[in-house]
Amino acid sequence: MFEELKKFLKGFFGSFKARSTEYIEFEERELENVFALVLMGSFVGIPSPPTTLVMRLMPHMVREIYVMQRRATDMDDIFGEIASMFEIT
Amino acid sequence: MKEYLKPKSGFRTIFFIGKGGVGKTTSSAAVSIALAKKGYNTLIVSTDPAHNLGDVFMVKLNDKPKKIMKNLYAMELDMEKLIKNYLRHLEANLKHMYRYLTVINLEKYFEVLSFSPGIEEYATLEAIREILQEGEKWDVIIFDTPPTGLTLRVLALPEIALIWTDKLIDLRRKILDRRKAIEKIQGERKFVIDGEEYKLPSDEKEDAVMRELLAYKKEIEFVREIVTNKDRTSVVAVMNPEMLPLYETKRAYDSLRKFKIPFNMIVINKVIELEEMHPKLKVRMEAQERVLKEIEKEFKGIDIVRVPMFEEEPRGLEWLEKVGGLIVGS
Repeated sequence: MFEELKKFLKGFFGSFKARSTEYIEFEERELENVFALVLMGSFVGIPSPPTTLVMRLMPHMVREIYVMQRRATDMDDIFGEIASMFEIT
Repeated sequence: MKEYLKPKSGFRTIFFIGKGGVGKTTSSAAVSIALAKKGYNTLIVSTDPAHNLGDVFMVKLNDKPKKIMKNLYAMELDMEKLIKNYLRHLEANLKHMYRYLTVINLEKYFEVLSFSPGIEEYATLEAIREILQEGEKWDVIIFDTPPTGLTLRVLALPEIALIWTDKLIDLRRKILDRRKAIEKIQGERKFVIDGEEYKLPSDEKEDAVMRELLAYKKEIEFVREIVTNKDRTSVVAVMNPEMLPLYETKRAYDSLRKFKIPFNMIVINKVIELEEMHPKLKVRMEAQERVLKEIEKEFKGIDIVRVPMFEEEPRGLEWLEKVGGLIVGS
């Protein structure tokens, strides 16, 4: 009984926490996406930073590239994401 | 002897630039001999892919410093090998993350990459950086460079690379700030890809990307510090008394000034001096005279040295020493 209450409260506050950081997380994802795009820009025709620099950063860019790929897939529904964030239904 | 050729604080770097075929290699080799004779421990490096430094010294050179005479060592950078090494490094790094990236067919990509624009400049800059990092072994390091265009781009690279690096550092800092803010509320965050769990770094010291950015900035700043310091670097332009080399030197002068790289001297090579005027050479001599006047007018405050056209090609140590003495001065 006590355990379940604990679980409930954890979930309850967890959801608060998630909501409170939603906007920052969106901003963070966008920045990460831009960061990866800038470094891999030559693939889409954006001028690239020095090759040496790109080459040195790439191995550490797992997260950013993953975010970029996801952004690319969700691109057609970016409006949907913003709408859900602002609770427009 | 000219002050801007002497080592002042630490070692002195001298770049010889100029249009193809004006005598950069001969002039730089001559200066290296003159400096070695004056007792400075000198290294001369050819960064020109079409090497002929070895031909001028009449010895075979490779990418390790080879002793030519007392106080003088020479080497030729093997650009093809450098680019290959550079790409191999890149390939190894990319393969490391290959499992996350399924879009690139690496083998094919690397075949073309060695011909892609910019690679040669970056590889040259890396090579120059490596030499400068061990520069304390020498009093003077002389670079005999490829024709002007490529050299100017290489010398401009540190400045451009720093602009990029600073911008990327700013952007990264913003990302880390956001991560930190989220972390404060949610606690440490994990990130899962293909079942593998990573901790999402939010601190500058923890974040490998930021660490690389800062390390790269430090390295590039080191090169820029040297090439823009007038106590450590001098650029010598070599040209012939003709209009086209003059235009090119003017362009080089302007762009070096933009990047605050000290430009000290112009060597006018192959100046025809005749005691008796031959009528067939009259037009040519007049043209030469015009160019010489133009140079005096255009490059005020810059040391100008004339090297006459000799009856025979100045090759071998004796000849080079004579030319070197002319350029360096007593």
